[in-house]
Amino acid sequence: MELTEVAVAGVDRLGAYALVRLADDVPVGPPGTFAMVRDPVGAAFLPRPVGLFRAADGRPAFLIDPSLGIGSLARAERLAVLSPLGRGFVLEGAEVARALLVAGGIGITVFAGVRAARLVAGFRSPEHAVATSLVDAPATIRLAPALVTDDLDLDGIAVVLASGPAGMVRAVAAVAAAAGVPCQVALEAPMACGFGACYGCAVRLDGTWKRLCIEGPVVAAERLT
Amino acid sequence: MIALGGLQIAHPVLNASGTLDALSAHAVLGDASLGCAAHVTKTITPLAREGNPAPRITEISCGLLNSIGLPGPGIDRFCAEVLPATAAIVDVPIVVSIGGFSIDDYALLADRLSPCPAAAAIELNLSCPNVKTGCLAIGSDVGETEAVTAAVRARFARPLFVKLAPGLADLASIARAAVAGGADALTLTNTARGMAMHRGTGEPLLGARTGGVSGPALRPQALAAVDAARAAVDIAIVGVGGIETADDARDYLAAGATAVAVGTAIFPDPGAPRRIAAGLVTP
Ligand SMILES: Cc1cc2nc3c(=O)[nH]c(=O)nc-3n(C[C@H](O)[C@H](O)[C@H](O)COP(=O)(O)O)c2cc1C
Ligand code: FES
Repeated sequence: MELTEVAVAGVDRLGAYALVRLADDVPVGPPGTFAMVRDPVGAAFLPRPVGLFRAADGRPAFLIDPSLGIGSLARAERLAVLSPLGRGFVLEGAEVARALLVAGGIGITVFAGVRAARLVAGFRSPEHAVATSLVDAPATIRLAPALVTDDLDLDGIAVVLASGPAGMVRAVAAVAAAAGVPCQVALEAPMACGFGACYGCAVRLDGTWKRLCIEGPVVAAERLT
Repeated sequence: MIALGGLQIAHPVLNASGTLDALSAHAVLGDASLGCAAHVTKTITPLAREGNPAPRITEISCGLLNSIGLPGPGIDRFCAEVLPATAAIVDVPIVVSIGGFSIDDYALLADRLSPCPAAAAIELNLSCPNVKTGCLAIGSDVGETEAVTAAVRARFARPLFVKLAPGLADLASIARAAVAGGADALTLTNTARGMAMHRGTGEPLLGARTGGVSGPALRPQALAAVDAARAAVDIAIVGVGGIETADDARDYLAAGATAVAVGTAIFPDPGAPRRIAAGLVTP
C-alpha cells in the first residue's frame, strides 16, 4: 500500500458537517475501516484518520466536523490518502439484515451505505442530524440531551454495531451485554500514522493498552475494559 | 557502502527508533523497512511494559508531542519472538535499541542480545524523556554515561551506538564519555521534553503530562547537537530530528553526520525514507 495523492472533486455541506468528495479513485475498505488523509501543502503536519466510503456518485468521500479543528481538510485542493487501514465490522450476510446500528455524531460515517434493520443516531443538533441521510436503514434520531440508549429496542436484533464517542459506545455495549446480544464497537483515538508505527493510538483493550489502528478501530465489545 | 561505526550500510538513511514497527509495516503496507539502509527497532526494556496512559500524542506547531512511554514485550519475548520475526522480513542490518533504569538493566539487555546474531548493532537509548527514572538521567551524567557504555561494550562485541538527548548542558563532555566507554557512533538526538495544554480544561493534553517534541520543531536543536558533538569527538554520528527532505538530510551531513535517521516524517508519508535516500544520490 502506498500514499496516493488525489484531487478533491468538491465539498458539499451536509447539515453541520462537510462532505469531502475525491476526484480520483482510491481503495475504500469495508465499513469500519479508515483512511489517513492530509493536505500535502497545508499547515497540519500529521494526517488525520477519517472513515472513507463511496458517495452516491461512487467516488470516495469522507465526512468531517469543521468545528473539530480539521476544517482545513475541507479547503484542500489535493489530499494525500493512505487507505484502507484497520479492521472493520465482522458480519455475515444474514446478520447485517438483523443488525442494529447505533451512532453518535460523526461516528455515523462508518455506517454509510450499510443496509441494516434499524439505526438509532444521536446528535447535538438538528443540523448535525442531517448526516442520518448517509445510512440506508429506518432511523430513530435522538437529539441531545436525549441518549441513544433511551428505550433502545433490541427486539429481533442479531448484532449491535456502535460508533461514536467513548462514553456512548460503552453505554451501548452495556445494554447489548445485558440483553445477551453480540456487539461490535468502532472506537476513536488520536492517530499519527495509522499503520502501527507510532504507538500513539493507545486504547484500553483486554486489560492493557493496545494500538487502535492495528486492533481496530472496530473491536468486539467484550474487549473494552 | 558506508561504514557507520563498523556497520556496513548501503546508503545513509535509517529510521529513527520507535517510529517504524517492521512487523506492522510489513502486515499493513507490505513493506517492512521502507527502504532504510538499516532497521532500528523500538527501544526494548528488560521487562514487559504497558506504556503511558492515553492520550499519548498530539500535534503541535511544526511537529508532534508524544509520551508513548516505551511499551514493549520485554527482552526475553523480544529475543524469542520479535527479533526473529523481524529478521525474517527485514533484509537490512537490524540495530536493536535498548533502554533501562539502571546500568545493570543495560548490562542485562546486552547479555541477552550478544548471542543473537540478528542484532547487528545496539543503540543505547540514554535519552527517553517519557520514563521517570534511568535512561535520560543516565545520559545526562558524564560518569554514568561512560559507565553504562563500558558495561554494554564489555558484553557486546558488535557496533554500539549511543543516543543522546537534545539540550544537554554539556553535550561535548557526555559525547566524550560515550567514546571513552567504547561507543562506535552517536545518535543525535532523541525528542526534547515538552508540554501542551488542553485549552478547554487547562489540563495537560497528554496523559503523562509531558512528552517529547519531534518533527521540524526539533530540527535546529538536533542540528546544533550534531555540530557540537562533531567538534568534540571523531566517531560516526547519526543525525536525527525533523528530517523530511533530502535537503534536511544534507544539512545534517554538512554539520558532520555520517548518516541520518527519519522518524516523525514517516507517519504522514511512509515513503519518506526511500524518497530522501533517492534525493541524496541525485543532487
Ligand atoms: C512516537 C515516537 C516514538 C519514539 N520512540 C522512541 C524510542 O522508543 N526510542 C528512542 O530512542 N527514540 C524514540 N523516539 C525518538 C525518535 O527516535 C527520534 O529521535 C525523534 O523523534 C526525533 O526525530 P524525528 O523528528 O525525525 O522524529 C520516538 C519518537 C516518536 C515521535
Ligand atoms: S496510529 Fe500510529 S500506531 Fe496507531
